[in-house]
Amino acid sequence: MFIIRMLLREIRHRKLNFISALIAVITAVGLFVGVFTACEASRRETVRLMRNMGFNLIIVPEGTDMVDFWSQDYARKEMPEEYVHRLANSKDLSIQHLVARLQKRIEWRGRKILLTGILPEVQMKYLPAKSAMIEAPEPGTVYVGYELWRGTDIQVGQEIELGDKSFRVAMRLEEQGTKDDIRIYGHLHDVQEVLGKPGRINEVEALGCLCLGDALADIRQQLARELPGTHVTEFRSIAIMRAETRKMIENYAALIIPAILIVAAVWVGLLALGNVRERRAEIGVLRAMGVSSWPIAVLFLGKAVLIGLVGAALGFVLGTWLASHFGPQVFPLTARKIAPMYSLLSWSLIGAALMCVVASYLPIVQGVMQDPAQVLREE
Amino acid sequence: MIALENVSKLYRRDSEEVRALDEVSISVAAGEFVAVRGPSGCGKSTLLLTVGGMIRPTEGRALIDGEDLYALSARDRARRRAEKIGFVFQMFHLVPYLSALDNVLVPTLAGMSAGRKQARELLERLQLGHRVRHRPAELSTGERQRVALARALLKRPAIILADEPTGNLDPASAAQVMSYLADFHRDGGTLLLVSHDPLAAEHTDRTVQLLEGHLAG
Repeated sequence: MFIIRMLLREIRHRKLNFISALIAVITAVGLFVGVFTACEASRRETVRLMRNMGFNLIIVPEGTDMVDFWSQDYARKEMPEEYVHRLANSKDLSIQHLVARLQKRIEWRGRKILLTGILPEVQMKYLPAKSAMIEAPEPGTVYVGYELWRGTDIQVGQEIELGDKSFRVAMRLEEQGTKDDIRIYGHLHDVQEVLGKPGRINEVEALGCLCLGDALADIRQQLARELPGTHVTEFRSIAIMRAETRKMIENYAALIIPAILIVAAVWVGLLALGNVRERRAEIGVLRAMGVSSWPIAVLFLGKAVLIGLVGAALGFVLGTWLASHFGPQVFPLTARKIAPMYSLLSWSLIGAALMCVVASYLPIVQGVMQDPAQVLREE
Repeated sequence: MIALENVSKLYRRDSEEVRALDEVSISVAAGEFVAVRGPSGCGKSTLLLTVGGMIRPTEGRALIDGEDLYALSARDRARRRAEKIGFVFQMFHLVPYLSALDNVLVPTLAGMSAGRKQARELLERLQLGHRVRHRPAELSTGERQRVALARALLKRPAIILADEPTGNLDPASAAQVMSYLADFHRDGGTLLLVSHDPLAAEHTDRTVQLLEGHLAG
């Protein structure tokens, strides 16, 4: 216990040395925790935003003319409804939230509208179950787009005619400012019946991974194996742009954090070197008294570990505060997602203590290995 | 107890060669108090540190109780120092951030068993009972040297090697320190003391002169 008392007394005696090293560690850990916490919050929010924005993949029958698809809003070609179940049973597909649709432009009450049949989401068999992204109409019911009910007497609960069938209005949709405002949604099987296309669909919407890079190429390869008769395309969206922005920030962080860690390590190492040099006579006398290298090394390594642990704990608090205080300005949409990441605390404690030990190692070895007689003769 | 046999020590600085000790032979019997005198730079400190197992001689042997210190491993040599030798230095070399009491306890880092009670008794014997909590910067030079002496005595060594222990002290403090060293001698301890101080000769059994690395007289 005497060695611990010695260690603590030395820290109290040379406060500036300890505080300087502590500042280096607090800065490094604080920035690491701050950037990591903000990036993680941003990642979660981007995923959430992406999901909220809807599907980002659309699978259409192979040979679909995509010019025609984009101008018509749907594929003229069709494929069996059974395809969606084959996709759901696949082990190798990195997509989720499969929704089979059949849609067609029809004339309704003297106006051109889009009639869309939706099958409730099919869960991927080999992936954890997810809550549904959309609520499909129940059989026998429809959702009516904003422009189709506005200025009419269509009310929820009222019956409307589609073809020669009658459906109850389950929901009047709010204004979207898109073609969804001229859409009537029904259950897929009802719409198949209205259009006279039983068991047929013309697209499957899905949510692909938010990865950047070659994710689409990978999915195309996977689909080519699972469903050769299909083609997949991706909706580039603002969420993807956000993911790219996040990736850019992560890249900066990947560059900046190691640089900060190196600067902090050099700082701690130089302070350790200064500390060892200042204490040469002390080390020399200890050696003269027959104290072996190990207790002397423990005196210095113990200090390095203490600097690492205290610095990491304070740095974690600082980083979490930085993330919660400035994070919302950097990532406005992630504000409520920024929360302390307590898992980082243990990593920070271990990492900072290790960094301090590694940074101090050479000065300590140099100090312990010095010739005590030389120091004592220099007096 | 202590013997140097034809010990030479050469230092090389750049291309210059300095012979700090030149075939020095000296023996100090158990319980003897020997002073080594000589001008600055004549090799006195080198001689003391060689006896203490801290400077390996270029030639010759350094024996403690018949055992060649430099035939031992560094670890065993450190152990012999911890067991048998106490050092007192001109500059005291107290640990600046420790109290007087803790400074006396520093040798316990070498693994020896001695408690705070024993350290406190030593300080009281050296009339420092009222200074146990003071740090070196709060002590006079004489008090610092007495703390250093208490530190050397804590492990009850058979030998004390003292390098100019009164070199930085006023005459009154020097006399006090010399009387404590004489007490150690009276209690059967062996002392090898390096000093300019003529007062030292009053307490010693024998004084030898060292001149340019040679023993004279």
